[in-house]
Amino acid sequence: MNSLTYKLIAKDFHQHRLLIAGTIAIGLISLLVAGAGTLMLFNIGMLCWLTAIAAYGCVLAMLSISGERKERALLFVLSLPLGYRDYVRLKLFGVMLCFLAPWAILTAGAVVLVLAKPGMADGILPFAILLCGFLLTNFSMVLSCALFARSEGFITLVIIVHNIAISLFIFLVGPIPAFRDHLQDASPTWGPEFWIVLAVEAATLFVIFSLPYFVVARRRDFI
Amino acid sequence: MTATKHIEMHAVRKAFRFFTLEDLSLDLAPGQIMGFVGPNGAGKSTSIRLMMGLLAPDAGEVRVLGHAMPENQALAKRDIGFVSDDMRLFGHATLGWHMQFVASIYPGWDAQYAKALIKRFNLRAEQNVSGLSSGEHTKAVLLLALARRPRLLILDEPTSGLDPVARHEVLNELMDVLRDDDRSILFSSHNTVDVERISDCITFIDRGRLVDSSDKEDFLERWRRIYMQVPPGTALPDLPHLVSRVVDGQFVTLTTDRFSPDLLAFLGANVREVHRMSLEEIFVASVFHHREVAGL
Repeated sequence: MNSLTYKLIAKDFHQHRLLIAGTIAIGLISLLVAGAGTLMLFNIGMLCWLTAIAAYGCVLAMLSISGERKERALLFVLSLPLGYRDYVRLKLFGVMLCFLAPWAILTAGAVVLVLAKPGMADGILPFAILLCGFLLTNFSMVLSCALFARSEGFITLVIIVHNIAISLFIFLVGPIPAFRDHLQDASPTWGPEFWIVLAVEAATLFVIFSLPYFVVARRRDFI
Repeated sequence: MTATKHIEMHAVRKAFRFFTLEDLSLDLAPGQIMGFVGPNGAGKSTSIRLMMGLLAPDAGEVRVLGHAMPENQALAKRDIGFVSDDMRLFGHATLGWHMQFVASIYPGWDAQYAKALIKRFNLRAEQNVSGLSSGEHTKAVLLLALARRPRLLILDEPTSGLDPVARHEVLNELMDVLRDDDRSILFSSHNTVDVERISDCITFIDRGRLVDSSDKEDFLERWRRIYMQVPPGTALPDLPHLVSRVVDGQFVTLTTDRFSPDLLAFLGANVREVHRMSLEEIFVASVFHHREVAGL
């Protein structure tokens, strides 16, 4: 990547700095609430934590890619000395980095909460990590689709699918005996199911993340 | 050895569902200002996007500053200042932030000139772009393009949202740019007054096809409207290079795009007046004639 690409990635960070800080703040407050003591507060806190990460991903992709196109700032970016491949690359890496910053902090926060909170079973940790991995994979799907999409309707559909997918993950992966049966264990169980689901998430992330570079970047018309 | 042309388009074709740009060829030499004139939907923006590498031609060749487009657009765009009335800056940031951003990308950024332009255009570096009026926004985009001192300026309808005073300021600035003989401008507009004021060559485009391209002086010299009064029953002979003929009783108005003293001599004593035409009149006559001939 050349220096212009780095500058444009830095521009994305600068542009979204308040959104990033706000998401981290809301996510951390949610974790504090989750760790406050009662089961109800735990549920409320974790729901807010999950919503903060998921909503941030959608808003980020909308503002960075669809918003840039809709507000016609894309033409300004494309007037700079870069080709379309450079643009796709910088958007993939720049927006992903903007997502990774709060995601990493809030994932670490959730792990610390599980390990440090007295009375909370550490057995939930494998499922929590898989959920965080899924949030990252799910975000990469929104990001790639935003680069593909040329209509707001399509992006709206992708966001709906993104939100449904989180519920499906919780209701489909959560009941797998290898996770469900160990949620209340004092120590985490890293069975083969955990590694299989993690590998599927990693492979899906890699495929979805690479797709725009091989498909969108080959488009001959930018606009 | 001749200098590399700043823009070369040869037999370019670009088809969309409801519009096709057909067989477009044009050249822009260093130091020239080309007025690229056409009605709405003529294909000006499509042509400019092909020049900028934002669209790829279906056929033909586009070279800008010697670079094949769109393949080498990153290289070409180092020396191009592109402004479009469709272009918007980042609403969340100030003009000063944009200036720093562009300055960090272009080594040729002229900070002194940028400061002078801020003053001349009555802009404020600390103001958020989202708070700029439409005219101020256009001037801000122009400032960012001009202060990088590009060899080629490509301007797509840059004056369309400007009031007369702002238009005057912008056109003056563009003429200043041309003091450097190696810089050139392609200036698209449907405002023929602006184009007539600053261009030294003009290309007319209509419905995706090139209508005419020539030096401005050449256009103004060869187009004439001839007013005649002919006795009743007199038939006018067939004349070459006649773009239009309007007969109202004894009064005949001829428009030609190849005026010469020989033509006047041929028409004889029936000629009452000969008028030079404005660029707007030439443009309109030219477009209608082209549509008629091409059967469009």
